[in-house]
Amino acid sequence: MLRLQSAAIVALLATAFSAYAVRVGDPAPDFTGVDSHGQSHTLSSYHGKLVVLEWTNSNCPFTKKHYDSGNMQSLQKQWTAKGVVWFTILSSAPDHDGYKTAAEENAYIAKEHASPTAVLLDPTGKIGHAYEAKTTPHMFVIDPTGKIVYEGAIDDHPTTDTSDIKSSKNYVSDALTEALAGKQIATSYTRPYGCSVKYQNSAE
Amino acid sequence: MRARLHLVSLFLLALLTHLTYAQQPASSTVSAQHLTVQLVVPPAEIYPGQNFTAGLYFKLEPGWHVYWTNAGDSGEPPTMKWTLPQGISTEALQFPAPKRLPLGPLMDFGYEKEVLFPVPIHVAADFKPSADTTTFAAKVNWLVCREVCIPGKAALSIDRKALSATPDVPHQIAADAQLVARFADTLPKPLPSGNQARFAANTKGFTLAVTTGKRESGAQFFPFEQTILSNPAPQAEKPLSNGVSLDLTKDENLRTTPKELHGLLVLADGTAYEVHATPGPLPGGSSTDLGSLAKIVGLAFIGGIILNLMPCVFPVLFIKGLSLVQSSQHERSKMRAHGWVYTLGILASFWAVVALLLILRGAGHQLGWGFQFQSPTFIALMALLLFFLGLSLAGQFEIGLSLTSAGGSLASKQGYTGSFFTGVLAMVVATPCTAPFMGAAIGYALSQSAFVTFAVFTALALGLAAPYLLLAYNPAWTKLLPRPGAWMEVLKQAVSIPIFGTVIWLVWLFTQTTGPNALIGLLAAFLLLAIAGWVLGRWPGKTLAAVFAALLILPAIGISIYAVQRLATQPSSSTAAAKDWQPFTPALVEQYRAQGRPIFVDFTASWCLSCQVNERVVLNRADVQQHLKNSGVVLVRADWTRHDETIAQALANLGRSGVPTYVLYSGDANTPPQVLPEVLTPGIVIGALDGLPKPQSQSAQVNHSTPP
Repeated sequence: MLRLQSAAIVALLATAFSAYAVRVGDPAPDFTGVDSHGQSHTLSSYHGKLVVLEWTNSNCPFTKKHYDSGNMQSLQKQWTAKGVVWFTILSSAPDHDGYKTAAEENAYIAKEHASPTAVLLDPTGKIGHAYEAKTTPHMFVIDPTGKIVYEGAIDDHPTTDTSDIKSSKNYVSDALTEALAGKQIATSYTRPYGCSVKYQNSAE
Repeated sequence: MRARLHLVSLFLLALLTHLTYAQQPASSTVSAQHLTVQLVVPPAEIYPGQNFTAGLYFKLEPGWHVYWTNAGDSGEPPTMKWTLPQGISTEALQFPAPKRLPLGPLMDFGYEKEVLFPVPIHVAADFKPSADTTTFAAKVNWLVCREVCIPGKAALSIDRKALSATPDVPHQIAADAQLVARFADTLPKPLPSGNQARFAANTKGFTLAVTTGKRESGAQFFPFEQTILSNPAPQAEKPLSNGVSLDLTKDENLRTTPKELHGLLVLADGTAYEVHATPGPLPGGSSTDLGSLAKIVGLAFIGGIILNLMPCVFPVLFIKGLSLVQSSQHERSKMRAHGWVYTLGILASFWAVVALLLILRGAGHQLGWGFQFQSPTFIALMALLLFFLGLSLAGQFEIGLSLTSAGGSLASKQGYTGSFFTGVLAMVVATPCTAPFMGAAIGYALSQSAFVTFAVFTALALGLAAPYLLLAYNPAWTKLLPRPGAWMEVLKQAVSIPIFGTVIWLVWLFTQTTGPNALIGLLAAFLLLAIAGWVLGRWPGKTLAAVFAALLILPAIGISIYAVQRLATQPSSSTAAAKDWQPFTPALVEQYRAQGRPIFVDFTASWCLSCQVNERVVLNRADVQQHLKNSGVVLVRADWTRHDETIAQALANLGRSGVPTYVLYSGDANTPPQVLPEVLTPGIVIGALDGLPKPQSQSAQVNHSTPP
């Protein structure tokens, strides 16, 4: 009896600890991040809007594929014009591949003509870990009620070849189109592709 | 003579062409950043109806890797596009068994150092060579990563002699043939017939069981599908008598149970099987070979005997000693009967625990032996029981006159009931003292079939009962005990001292898991028990007094349960100075192992007395600390004060089920970890550290296996 009771306590504790894993359909973990202009943004304050999270690393060939081709910039332009909030998030730790100071990041944005709502600098990986962001790019779409409605790859061609973009099905655009039309998201989860996010202590 | 000369010149010509082909690496091999890639085509001649295996070979700089067909959390596998003459066709690139490549919180699957991807090639029966040579050309794309990822591409081509018919003696390009042959064993094989792969879904993921025909103690599963499993999650393995079972964690986003788990099962010896596991009853492991079973049962028996000497069984032995002194007035046969009833009491309670363990294990809980002391309610009730027992022994009241509720009173009852419950009590109190042998025996038992678990626990129980049984059968030895007399009362009162000592330990444990507020509840319960004891002692044998005492005992139990549930605060889990120690995660250990750094893992819990003793007396000693520092060992502490599934799994992987457990991983990823004894001495720790490879070879190791 006592052992059964303790087993029940353990089971309860175990579920409590596993409850915060990120899952499509679940509330998006709230965060406050500082952007490359020093301004802070809190996710929950964008309630009522569609939010896109894009993990980035300017040195990653998969990210480069979408910036060199202008694909990412045009997505950012197209969707922010429709009122979508677009956060590009940089979770590379200092001394790790792709890490940038605010000034370096601003120079990069200018050079690439990128136009996200903001680039959040996350050198501690706090936001990245909260979302379990795995790759660059790794995309999330959060609906106006604060639920994650899409997580995964940017498109269906996991390559570094810019010529593949034309023939790719862009999952993020599809999800945003469906969300704006109030429709169910047809493809809500895919395996993200790209380089690993370069978190603190991820490698020597 | 002429004909012979002709033959020789033909042979020379063949040799010459052979050499020419072998010396043609310019276009078949390309050096790129951090790797060289080579097209490998073993046959020297290509002819109609021929089937052979070509390959794509990568030689990588240390630390860099390319990917398996499912790259894991990041990365992409290489791709290959052939340009071939009419009549020659290829199958898809085949992927050898990969390695797990941990990367912070992520897990990739791929290859380090070198890898050859075989490609089966078929030449059609109507193949007509258009020239003397035929060209195999391929465009290859890959992603090579260390910390950074670099995509690469190359156009490779290689020429081979073309024949319009099968030659009498086909030739091979030795270097290419050797290369393909060297990697032939790395390819996954189908599961041998007669074996099966099944999986069962549970809340966290799947249990996958695969039979291979023999006991497997080391296996990893690599899924082909990318969105079914969580890649970095540890895969707790359980050897079966004829295979292995793995606990797999599902991808957070997986909503439906897949129809099959398709992937590679890679065993400790490198053998890889491609398995298509279907849902269904898991193939269970029956009893293992009798030799090792007998050995383990023997160890369990000795462990049981040693349990008698452990400090937490001591008070019970004292009680038992007392009743033995009383029994010596009885005739011989009665004493033997008492011995057997005591044995039965121990057996019954061990069997009850086995039954519970099996039920809970079935429910998917990886429970450790010391676990019952993770329940504050259990600790509180044990403390109350022993405190009440102590009051009686100290002489406040006579137990057994009217009380029937508490197990302690049952244990000190005269007659068979008393003997039976003393046996039960001995077992209950013995559990936290995971003596040497016991941890190993239980770890073994938990990973085995119900039958083996039963056998091991039975042996433990018999070992625990043996000394007393022996005494009951050898009255001569009983004579060594002092004659009964007035000293017995003194002895009985003296026994209350270790009992109260045990109570202090239990109260300390209780505070560790619930905090100071709940302690007030427990101490108040003690006060109520003391009043109940005083009532029983003041008016002995009176029904009214017994009823009144019971009315005090019930709220005492109530208060302590209430205290646990309402007043408990989250404890600060670690007690010892923890700044040098990193908290345990399986990923952390895998990461350091991949870096080739030695790691010392201390599996501990604040309720584990021997853990505290080891930490304070051995691990925190200045000279031991100095050795730990000098050897460059990473210190990791797995705190099991509160039940933690990943720690339970890590212990199960080591074949253990309880704390203390001390594990030393050497810098070499291929060397199995060394499990140190449960009772540490400075000599054991320093000796184990001195046994590690020297720092120079460690730094060489780092160069070879730096993670991505």
